[in-house]
Amino acid sequence: MSSIEATSPMFEPVFMRVALLASITIGASLSVLGVYLVIRRVVFLGLVVANAATLGAALAEAVGVATEIPSLALAVGTAVALGGVESSNRVSAESLMGWAYAAASSATVLVLSSTTGDSTHTLSLLFGNILAVEGADVVGLTVIAIVILLVQWLFARRFLLVTFDPDAATVAGVNTWRWSMALNLLIGISAAAAVQSTGALLTFALLTLPAMAALLATSSVRATFATAAALGIVLPSIGLAFSFYLDLPAGPATVALLALSVPLAAMNRDAESPQDRPPH
Amino acid sequence: MTEWALKAERLTLGYGRRALFRDLSFEVARGAILGIVGPNGSGKTTLLRTILGLLRPLAGVAHWQAGLSISYVPQRERIDRTIPVTVLEVVLMGPGAKAPALHRTGRADRESADRALARLGIESVGRTLFRNLSTGQQQRALLARALATDPDVLVLDEPTAGMDVASEAITMEFLRDLNRTRHVTILIVTHLLPLVLNLATSMMLVGSQSILHGPIDDVLHEDRLTALYGVPVHLGVVAGRRTLVVNRGNQPHV
Repeated sequence: MSSIEATSPMFEPVFMRVALLASITIGASLSVLGVYLVIRRVVFLGLVVANAATLGAALAEAVGVATEIPSLALAVGTAVALGGVESSNRVSAESLMGWAYAAASSATVLVLSSTTGDSTHTLSLLFGNILAVEGADVVGLTVIAIVILLVQWLFARRFLLVTFDPDAATVAGVNTWRWSMALNLLIGISAAAAVQSTGALLTFALLTLPAMAALLATSSVRATFATAAALGIVLPSIGLAFSFYLDLPAGPATVALLALSVPLAAMNRDAESPQDRPPH
Repeated sequence: MTEWALKAERLTLGYGRRALFRDLSFEVARGAILGIVGPNGSGKTTLLRTILGLLRPLAGVAHWQAGLSISYVPQRERIDRTIPVTVLEVVLMGPGAKAPALHRTGRADRESADRALARLGIESVGRTLFRNLSTGQQQRALLARALATDPDVLVLDEPTAGMDVASEAITMEFLRDLNRTRHVTILIVTHLLPLVLNLATSMMLVGSQSILHGPIDDVLHEDRLTALYGVPVHLGVVAGRRTLVVNRGNQPHV
């Protein structure tokens, strides 16, 4: 008997251990990348990319091919295409993302409803099922998470620079467009990898809520990324425990916990010392 | 013949298909202080973004002398303030942007940042969060970031926005000193003509459809300024410094 089995009956079934590993790897990479989405005020990009990945999987199912490549292609293509969109005088970038979300999610349902009569399978694609993840999938998810976290660690200064002040970075000779696209590419890859295990809702929640809570609760860049990663790892694990012991659906339980973390972080911010507040 | 820092040739600029200015050709000499002045909405920032390469010109070209190090101090409002970066981290972004992507901050970068903070008189707030500074201090932190790169050209967009009179005077004096001692070419965009009246060596008056550029004494004429701002403008000299008086009804505004 391993030590993890000895500490909790929750980890006796293999599928629970696999689900825990999957949620840790997905949570870590999505929550760290999400910090950039929240700072750049493009959180809806996360929602659109997650839905584009689902649409890719649905289209693949419709034509009877493996879902991974179409899902990845559509997610990355969407992240790169919408990542370069700027607001015009008539339509904001946020509105365009709202349009893309509506189009992608309706297309997904239409594709699935016309190709499969199995509603459970349809729901699984739309909302994911972390408990159904297989061991081989976890290996792939872990490799992707390690690569994404490594790239983020190596180039964090450049990503922050182009996020903080893209104009000054461009004048200094930094190819801001290329670095922004690299960031969107990472978001597209991680969302596509996650969405078939966690579903679009949890993928979006992991991309935005840990980052929001971390930005509210912390006062340094390092602490923001560390806290976002910690929340992205710990809260889905607690969500799994709720699922096991209280017989709740794992995904929604995790999203509820992630949502709860934001007002708690805001309360922590309200309690911060007066000298940390901006002057009036 | 004076060496140029910036040269624009038949530059047409604007957004989409709408041209704000057509066929602009001008040079900015190295070591000059150029004031780009005009009323709100006249197109100053569009001109600045075009010559900085942030906006693609509709026609023509604007190019900088090869090898010049250019630093840009944008309007404070364009800076993200959700990121919890300290003032020191902001200043370190200056040298960081000029270094290779995998460059790690070293002692030389920190010393350069500390020197820049000290020159701007804000060394005591290095560990403070940028977003928690006052408006004037934030502007000085951005100036320190530009200074930490040891630039040949400094481009500033509304550099004293939100500053009190004392901070404004200190900043202008600092820029004059930077130009005099280190021969830094300075371009300042402002809607406040008095700000650059006694600082700029050349002036660009940006009107609704035309731009007038030249040495400051050639450009500053009461009739031109009156036409530009749409109110009677009078120029004078008090204690050896240029002054400007705007008549609005019977109440002069200095």
